[in-house]
Amino acid sequence: METLSYLGQGFGVATTPFNLFTALCGTLIGTIVGLLPGLGPINGVALLIPIAFALGLPPETALILLAAVYLGCEYGGRISSILLNIPGEASAVMTTLDGYPLARQGKGGIALSISAWSSFIGGLMATIGVVIFAPLLASWAVAFGPAEYFALMVFAIVCLAGMAGNKPLKTAVAAMIGLFLSSVGIDSNSGVYRFTFGSLGLSDGIQFVVLVLGLFSVSEILVLLERTHRGQKAIQASGRMLFNLKEGASVFLTNLRGGAIGFFLGILPGAGATLASAVAYMSEKRINDQEGTFGKGDLRGLAAPETANSASACGSMVPMLTLGVPGSGTTAVMLGALTLYNITPGPLLFQNQPDIVWGLIASLFIANLMLIVMNVPMIRIFTKILAVPYWALVPAIAIITSIGVYAVHATTFDLFLMIAIGVIGYILRKFDFPLSAILLGFILGGLMEQNLRRALSISNGDLGILFSSPICWGVWALTALMIVLPMLRGWRRRLRTVRAGG
Amino acid sequence: MIYQRVFLAVLLLVCAILAVIAFGYHAPFSYEPVGPRAYPLLLLTLIMAGTLYLLFRPGTITLGEGDEHLDRHVLAKITLCVVLFTIFAACYEMLGFIVSSFGFAVLMGRLYGGTWIASLIGGVLMSIGFYWLFDRILDVPLPLGILSSLEF
Amino acid sequence: MSPSTFQPFSGARLLLSVACLLGLAVAQPAMSEEPRRPECIAPASPGGGFDLTCKLAQSALVQQGLLSSPMRVTYMPGGIGAVAYNAVAAQRSGEEGTIVAWSSGSLLNLAQGKFGRFDEQAVKWLAGVGTTYGALVVRADSPFQDLDDLVDALKSNPGEVVIGAGGTVGSQDWMQTALMARAAGIDPRAMRYVAMEGGGELITALLGSHIQVASSDIADTMPHVESGDVRVLAVFAEERLPGELASQVPTAIEQGYDINWPVVRGFYVGPDVSEEAYDWWVEAFDTLLETEEFAQLRADRDMFPFAMTGDELRQYVDEQVALYRQMATEFGLIQ
Repeated sequence: METLSYLGQGFGVATTPFNLFTALCGTLIGTIVGLLPGLGPINGVALLIPIAFALGLPPETALILLAAVYLGCEYGGRISSILLNIPGEASAVMTTLDGYPLARQGKGGIALSISAWSSFIGGLMATIGVVIFAPLLASWAVAFGPAEYFALMVFAIVCLAGMAGNKPLKTAVAAMIGLFLSSVGIDSNSGVYRFTFGSLGLSDGIQFVVLVLGLFSVSEILVLLERTHRGQKAIQASGRMLFNLKEGASVFLTNLRGGAIGFFLGILPGAGATLASAVAYMSEKRINDQEGTFGKGDLRGLAAPETANSASACGSMVPMLTLGVPGSGTTAVMLGALTLYNITPGPLLFQNQPDIVWGLIASLFIANLMLIVMNVPMIRIFTKILAVPYWALVPAIAIITSIGVYAVHATTFDLFLMIAIGVIGYILRKFDFPLSAILLGFILGGLMEQNLRRALSISNGDLGILFSSPICWGVWALTALMIVLPMLRGWRRRLRTVRAGG
Repeated sequence: MIYQRVFLAVLLLVCAILAVIAFGYHAPFSYEPVGPRAYPLLLLTLIMAGTLYLLFRPGTITLGEGDEHLDRHVLAKITLCVVLFTIFAACYEMLGFIVSSFGFAVLMGRLYGGTWIASLIGGVLMSIGFYWLFDRILDVPLPLGILSSLEF
Repeated sequence: MSPSTFQPFSGARLLLSVACLLGLAVAQPAMSEEPRRPECIAPASPGGGFDLTCKLAQSALVQQGLLSSPMRVTYMPGGIGAVAYNAVAAQRSGEEGTIVAWSSGSLLNLAQGKFGRFDEQAVKWLAGVGTTYGALVVRADSPFQDLDDLVDALKSNPGEVVIGAGGTVGSQDWMQTALMARAAGIDPRAMRYVAMEGGGELITALLGSHIQVASSDIADTMPHVESGDVRVLAVFAEERLPGELASQVPTAIEQGYDINWPVVRGFYVGPDVSEEAYDWWVEAFDTLLETEEFAQLRADRDMFPFAMTGDELRQYVDEQVALYRQMATEFGLIQ
């Protein structure tokens, strides 16, 4: 009950007019920063911390601003994913799969509003989850050791197979290229430099931003050149901008499942958000994709990763607040912000400064609400991006992309790398290799290899460690289920056709 | 189809070369039995197996989105676009962001069907506007290059 | 103080700011002119130790009025400073306003030849501004009470104790673990060593009992000591550290193991920066390092006092790199 009173206090603080206004500004700034490819929550949050400090905002207002910017950036990233097919960050990759086809069908507005709505549900579920499970969450995050992470990665990769559709081999090759690319750079177990060819720009591996902007942004620019040559124009969003009740209801169960997946995976420090959106999408496809509409503009395929992603954004605050361990790059920056205000996140924060913790959780919720209040009326404006003629839009995308990539290392090496990746990406796209599989393989691969090897160095080479905890058993069981389920369904369908035939 | 096979063959060759390189990775200290070379070698082998299968079972090859055949004009334009990008990258630090992105934006604008005037206006607005937006407001430092003697 | 642009200007404030600016202008001739476009390169992603070092300089230099225009922080991650080192040693060698953060970890990699074609003479070492120390950490309920317990366990069966660290083979965390093993008379190859990525993963693994001992540094550890979740077996400093809680932590030296492993943080500038600009920076840091406010800012970031600039620092860097090179050779990391 104590938590509820603290939460009430948190809401009391968050809903003063000044703080509501701050949240509104934060979501607006965040949305604009997130919209720019290559810039994400890290930039948005890092940008506003010094300003908040210089303005002399009190800690709770600053926290609200940060939470609002964080969620605003996440949402802004969706806009470029859906309208331009350019995911700005890892967790937005799955959004392009069904979001971009929707935009190509002229339903950009509906896609954006479903995305905002799903994010809201996800945030709401995660907030409730934090309130109910708060004391247990720290031990859940800590219970995941290398062996458990490895099992989880295998599970995610098995889920990835669900993406295959009608071109299983090409999907597999693409995923393996991604898995392979993750091994470039210093091997964090042995310190050996792999496939760097003496280049220091590759010493930490291929940066995700470079890979994603190369594969998606540069290749999209080349595809747009083809369209210009053929005289095609962008398909603008027409008619309805908001989803209707029927569409909302059709994704509701998806929202619930996505929110649960997002919350529990988001808590895990590391790949939380990406893993959550990928697993949510794949499992939704496994459960629902009877007609094969996923990947061609299915609203459920958009709602699943969006809900999961937003739930995990809230979830990733948990390890930061309870353990003082950043769950993602953004939370690492937020940790820095908290120390500016003499708040030391860590195991004692829940005990010593509960007002701050619950204030932050309440602000996440308020920020979610603001996001939907502010962005829904603006969807019409966002979809106007599609009305910009190519001769202005493409150079703008190209230049912003280059800025995003340059910002990673502040060296031009990454620009050249991005162009090379982009050309290869364009060729792969022409030959129908799914680029999103490369990206997911890339994210999961490094975690899978390193955690396997860590687990084995803990156990001195004994494979038994991979099956040594209840969490491992649970994850392996889920993996088995993911393999068996489609087989079972295929078998049942065959049975039915046999019966119908007989 | 023939292009796709050429691509697959090149992919196969690259993987083979990388595998040879990977074979030489050896750690002075290794605390687990897997070591640094097992994982890349395994994946390269799998990619090569997949590629070989695609090469010899052309029935499995599908064509991509709206995959009309690229005629020579489109191909020339795409090459030009990539070359522009590369020159842009090369000039990025040397000439500075404003100058290089101005030139890049004008030429890209032309390539994507803009008139000279529209492209020029677009180039001026974008190069200065983006510099101001990113460097000044969003605090993403950009190189000034030859303009660094002018303090903005 | 420069005028704050965030507050509304009143007449009196405007006058005050003008007076301040004039005051600065009058005070200037004592020092040569301050460099234009001051920038601090943090050779890592936002949020890490290098970011912290840059932010420390950023807030302190402006707070003390040593810089009139705000210093910006640029991120240039890659190879614990290798990318930034190469950029500043070659392409950006003459930028007078640019300082780059370094740590002992950068020196260690430099010594192992991981910084490409450049050695420690390629840049101008400017200042060392703070330090932390390596430490061995266990969970509060661990059977190990002191370093002797750990060494005994290692001696009887080195494969029994799982030691985790935030870095790969050849990193600072690995080096201090290997030194510890060597002091206990154990082959570093016989240890059970697990390389995690960064301090966050490490502490999580320790709290979850996936590893038994964490080889970390004292700054990363103190918040968890405070909460009572972990204990520090030994800190690798020459003598006990200042601070209420930190002073209770025994050193390795007092327990009879001669290991001293400071992790110094500081700044360097490009090789072609003029002597005047270099002297300006040295003087600025000399002034800064003496102020109370800076000591407070440093303590807030869990760092301990360390102050060295100019030639003194150059000599220190040379000695450290030579020492690291010798260690790396002994351990067989470089031939």
